Amino acid sequence: MTEPRDELTAVADVIDADGREEFSAFAASRWPGLVRLAFGLTGDRWLAEDIAQTALARAYVAWRRVSRADDPDAYLRRILVNASHHRFRRHRVTEQPGDLPEILVEGPADLVGERAALLAALHQLPPRQRAVVILRYWEDLTDAQIAAALGCSPGTVRSQLSRALAKLRQSPALGEGDDQ
Amino acid sequence: MTATEDRELRRALHGTLQSVPPSPAPVEAIIRRGKRIRLRRTGAAVGTLALAGIAAVAALAPHGAAGAASPALAAPGSVVPGGVIAHGTADGQPWRLTAQNIADPGYACVPAITLNGTDADPVFPNADSGAVVALGSSLPGVGFGFVQVAADVNAITVDGDVSVPAVTVAACGMRYHVAGFAYSLAKTLRVTVVNPSGTWPRVFTLPLVSAQPSGKATTPENPGLWINTSTALATGDSGALAWGTLPDGQGWFIKLQFGIGGDCYELDGSSSHGNTQMGYCGPISTPDGPETIMALPLGFPDSGTGATGYAVQVSPATAVLKATLSNGSSVMATFCLVDGRKYAAFLVPNPLRLTKLTWLDARGRAIASTTAVPRYGYVQFQP
Repeated sequence: MTEPRDELTAVADVIDADGREEFSAFAASRWPGLVRLAFGLTGDRWLAEDIAQTALARAYVAWRRVSRADDPDAYLRRILVNASHHRFRRHRVTEQPGDLPEILVEGPADLVGERAALLAALHQLPPRQRAVVILRYWEDLTDAQIAAALGCSPGTVRSQLSRALAKLRQSPALGEGDDQ
Repeated sequence: MTATEDRELRRALHGTLQSVPPSPAPVEAIIRRGKRIRLRRTGAAVGTLALAGIAAVAALAPHGAAGAASPALAAPGSVVPGGVIAHGTADGQPWRLTAQNIADPGYACVPAITLNGTDADPVFPNADSGAVVALGSSLPGVGFGFVQVAADVNAITVDGDVSVPAVTVAACGMRYHVAGFAYSLAKTLRVTVVNPSGTWPRVFTLPLVSAQPSGKATTPENPGLWINTSTALATGDSGALAWGTLPDGQGWFIKLQFGIGGDCYELDGSSSHGNTQMGYCGPISTPDGPETIMALPLGFPDSGTGATGYAVQVSPATAVLKATLSNGSSVMATFCLVDGRKYAAFLVPNPLRLTKLTWLDARGRAIASTTAVPRYGYVQFQP
């Protein structure tokens, strides 16, 4: 008998009824936090939900491993951060008229004042610096945990965070209290 | 950074992100999406196993009803009339596996093996290939399968002692030598292709529809979606169903990949900042079977909002598919033929919602309508 290749892992990771129930509870409990984390990374509410779905769907595929992991949330965070980075890599040109009704697409939600300024400042950061800030100040992760989520060293985390904060100091959202 | 700055940034960030009210967790949509990912991986893995010649697994006859599967009858070497591969009764419900054309009338023939004349698996001559399917809550604990074998193979053996004869059926001018059967999802049994030459039996793998605790029949995964041992997902056709541009200039595009993985739809959004996409697979129906209404929600990168793409495989009698939206406006869906089958698709930008679908014939008369439309994934509806 020939040993199956790595792809077989996915086949074997079928969830039984109990596992499905367990996963459903897990997904429901993590959903709000994942959406908010993804929103911090993307600034787009709907994109955030899509990315959160992607992260949980991948967790579903590997549920046996995820559920036994010491920190399933770390696994989810890593998938989500990667998904947010790779979201726009495909390119397609499709500019053709369609049969849309005469309606307006709503603009961004009512993010005004401080929140809007903070989001704007965050999105002037490169993706990795933005992720470091979000993971530190929203998720309250340590350097090591952030490094695990981003697939880099703790030293890189510290340098990225330092650069990100230097840029954020220029933002009106954090201008008050600035000692520079 | 000073401690004051640190606190200020944390406070501001928490205030900002806490103000985002997530929608209810779409657990079912997440699971369907996970299944789609796994379905693709399963195809690759099963192909590997088939090549490796690993022992087969399947189980005949649900709930102890061994022998419930009946092969179609025909003289040796002849083609079974009507394309019926096997039929029987499972949990009191009749079932039938048939080889038939699933293209709309008047278009190039598309051969497939169907279960009860609906859920279809496009098929091509390929000895030593097989597929399994289950119907979920409508027939829990029961799976159905078929195995294509070489013309000189008379039967397959299940669980070492149950022989399932292979018959020859025809569809679209092609012949297929197939053994079909029903099996219990609560048991795992061995399938062997009997080699008439009397040498060592040939064995190969069928994928499991689902795994479950020993002795416990569960609702199978992917209801109506066949899982094939072949990896030839490209045997089907693909096509663009609808496309357009949002008022803010972002493009969108709904496409279909039709094949042995099911009817797989994808909604793509494009902008100057890049692309995003969402996709699901649904069961393949026959022209007279139920229509699958697929919903594909997607966020668009530029506008900070989203839209839901809808795609429907429609019956040949449908001339117009009218979508009524929550603001009272309506959209006439774009029709497109893919592999001789008619599909309709359209986009509903947020915050609008699809509230009703109406099928109209060529004279503009309503054939059917439904308000049971999904926001994620698919539902099936028989017009």
